[in-house]
Amino acid sequence: MNFLAIGTEIAIALLMLIVLAADLLLPKDVSHRRIGVISMVGLAVILVYTFGQYHIGASPTFFGGLFFVDNYALFFKQLFIIGMLFTILFSLEYTEKLLRYRGEFYVLLLSALLGMCVMASANDFITTFVGLELMTVSFYILVGARMTSEDSSEAAVKYLIVGAASTAVMLYGMSLVYGAAGSLVFSEVCRNIHLFYAAGLAGVIMVIIGFFFKLSVIPFHMWAPDVYQGAPTPVTALLAMGSKAAGIAVFMRILYTAFPILGNFWLPLLAGFAALCMIGGNIMAIRQTDIKRMLAYSSIAQAGYMMVGMAAADLAGMKAVLFYAMLYVFANLGAFAVLTVIDTERGGTSRRDITGLAQAAPLLAAVMTISLLSMAGIPPTAGFAGKLYLFTAVVERGYLWLAFVGFVMSMISVYYYLMVAKAMYRDLTPEEAEYAAPVYVPLTVRAAVLVSVFATLGLGICPEWLASLTNAAVQTFMR
Amino acid sequence: MNDLILSLHRLIDMGMTMAEELGTPEIILAAVFYVFAGISVLGALGVVLGRNIVHSALCLTASFIGIGCLYIFLSADFLGAVQFLVYGGAVAILIVMAIMLTRREDMAHSNPSRSIPHQLAALVVAGMFLLAMAAVALMSPFQTAPADIGDTVTGIADLMLTKYVLPFEIVAVLLLIAMIGAIILAKGVDES
Amino acid sequence: MISFVEMMHLALHVGLPHFLLLSAVLFAIGLFGLFTKKGIIAVLMCIELMLNAVNINFIAFNHYMPATDLSGQLMALFSIAVAAAEVAIGLALAFRIYHDHHTVNVDDLNHLKG
Repeated sequence: MNFLAIGTEIAIALLMLIVLAADLLLPKDVSHRRIGVISMVGLAVILVYTFGQYHIGASPTFFGGLFFVDNYALFFKQLFIIGMLFTILFSLEYTEKLLRYRGEFYVLLLSALLGMCVMASANDFITTFVGLELMTVSFYILVGARMTSEDSSEAAVKYLIVGAASTAVMLYGMSLVYGAAGSLVFSEVCRNIHLFYAAGLAGVIMVIIGFFFKLSVIPFHMWAPDVYQGAPTPVTALLAMGSKAAGIAVFMRILYTAFPILGNFWLPLLAGFAALCMIGGNIMAIRQTDIKRMLAYSSIAQAGYMMVGMAAADLAGMKAVLFYAMLYVFANLGAFAVLTVIDTERGGTSRRDITGLAQAAPLLAAVMTISLLSMAGIPPTAGFAGKLYLFTAVVERGYLWLAFVGFVMSMISVYYYLMVAKAMYRDLTPEEAEYAAPVYVPLTVRAAVLVSVFATLGLGICPEWLASLTNAAVQTFMR
Repeated sequence: MNDLILSLHRLIDMGMTMAEELGTPEIILAAVFYVFAGISVLGALGVVLGRNIVHSALCLTASFIGIGCLYIFLSADFLGAVQFLVYGGAVAILIVMAIMLTRREDMAHSNPSRSIPHQLAALVVAGMFLLAMAAVALMSPFQTAPADIGDTVTGIADLMLTKYVLPFEIVAVLLLIAMIGAIILAKGVDES
Repeated sequence: MISFVEMMHLALHVGLPHFLLLSAVLFAIGLFGLFTKKGIIAVLMCIELMLNAVNINFIAFNHYMPATDLSGQLMALFSIAVAAAEVAIGLALAFRIYHDHHTVNVDDLNHLKG
């Protein structure tokens, strides 16, 4: 038994229990920031530890290859930990002011992280399912965590209904795959020729539909805008970067290792839905006035871009997806850190609430603009490099039209991203003078946004740094 | 629990020997299957078509129990017992509790459905799904070779504590989180 | 076309297809309810029906296939545990919705709009 292989998971689970115990010991009326600090310190240590796990030879596994800690999984685990770490950092103030169950909030964040990490390494349907459910159940609660907000409970109910129904669909698909292939382990499923029977095909389709629900791919996206808008802002951030990246990680592993023999069948499907996401997400984002809701549609489009890389189905495509997922985390960190401050100080995230931000908090306005430009893929931000990798990978595989759709839609997306910038930078009319009053920006938020901006710009100028890491991640995929 | 399983086992064995003595085991097995399948399908229909949500909850419980009996029919006795305890017991009680906590004045119409066009659309979707899955079930040449797996409790325990120990532990975390979540979500109501 | 006698013979010879059909029927009923029911609790009950249908599939496959282990039953067991967790969260949320919005109808939850 190789316990080192699950060291990251054990550490996160321990950290979760420590935070739970610390919350019980702490008096109720005392500031809970220290619990957030404990979680951050713990996550930072775990992050450093995961760097030491990168390897060149065979990957460590747990229990007969059912849990695969290859560099690919490590890369995604680091991505989740970074996202979680900085989300806790910028939401310390928000949690303290707007949430009632602050200690439990951190516990739930860590359990969601644990679920994501399990998913990234899972190599059979049971582990995948259990990790996925740990993550989604934690998110159901987190979405409803803002007790004083009716939107929060409405969003949580909608998320739970759609999430549970999609779980049922995915499980039905898994059962049919199990029936056709006689096993639940990816490496045994992929060898079974019976996957070509009607049951196998139907099962694969239903598993893919289940993942489309989780990744909010059009036309299975109807829950995403409502949930993103109603959830507490830091939770929305995690839904956009963590939950989505975890879905991508496990979806890619399932497609490439369990269903590769059906590739001719799901590759066109993936390409078609990627195009649908990029077109629909970007067009529907244009008419949104709430920034969180706009970012929800934008995240649908971003899932489409990442599926472009998956449709390439080769090392270059995988590399591009990993690169894009990481830079998307940094772009989201910036945008949602700003939104969290706005939500705390002005009590909303509509386009009205960010009016005049350039005068109220110039740093935040600049960070927001840079993050949104990175999502749109404008040089010299990292988004440009990411999209370049994605589209070149897919063009080499002959999907010229897909790259074209992606390119045109990126241009269209610049419009609504710049609408936000315009709201922040335009001159205020005399009636709006109140919006120029300075907004209090906590030191923690300053730290988080500076990291996100440096990462976004740094990776835009020198993408090789991250590219070498993604190379290492892809080279040992399933080895 | 063990006693329950043992007595169930004994009943099943008795049924099997009786069937063999009668010389028509197929028909008896079919009768058992159709009775329990009928209970679960009728129960499910009751959930969907009932107008009173308490009746729906009762139908759901009946459906769960019918399904549990079918698990035992499929020689998954442990799963059958778990089904009775978790679904027939805990989940059913939880649902009835939730119904009582969210009381309406008029219980006779407490389980409303959407408009007729909506229902027709849903019927088409569900019907299409059913047709597709029926085709899959009848046309796929599954290899069937029922093997005697033996004692399922030992078999499941072996798997759960060796090969699948990680999912087992993760489910434990999941149940803890669900407990915390249910408490804070319901308690938040009291304090606001 | 197969004759009536043959059909009766098939119907009485209980095998894997019977269970797959039963599970498809239950899943379809759950799906129908999911789209038509207004109350949150009724919707949750329909989801439970769908999850149960899936478990029948797993257990039937595990029984009738030349299986080497009980992983199908184990998956059903985990699915039961997860479904119980989900229903607990769902009912706590239904309770909160009832308090916040004074309704348990999904259709009345329409404050979040674009």
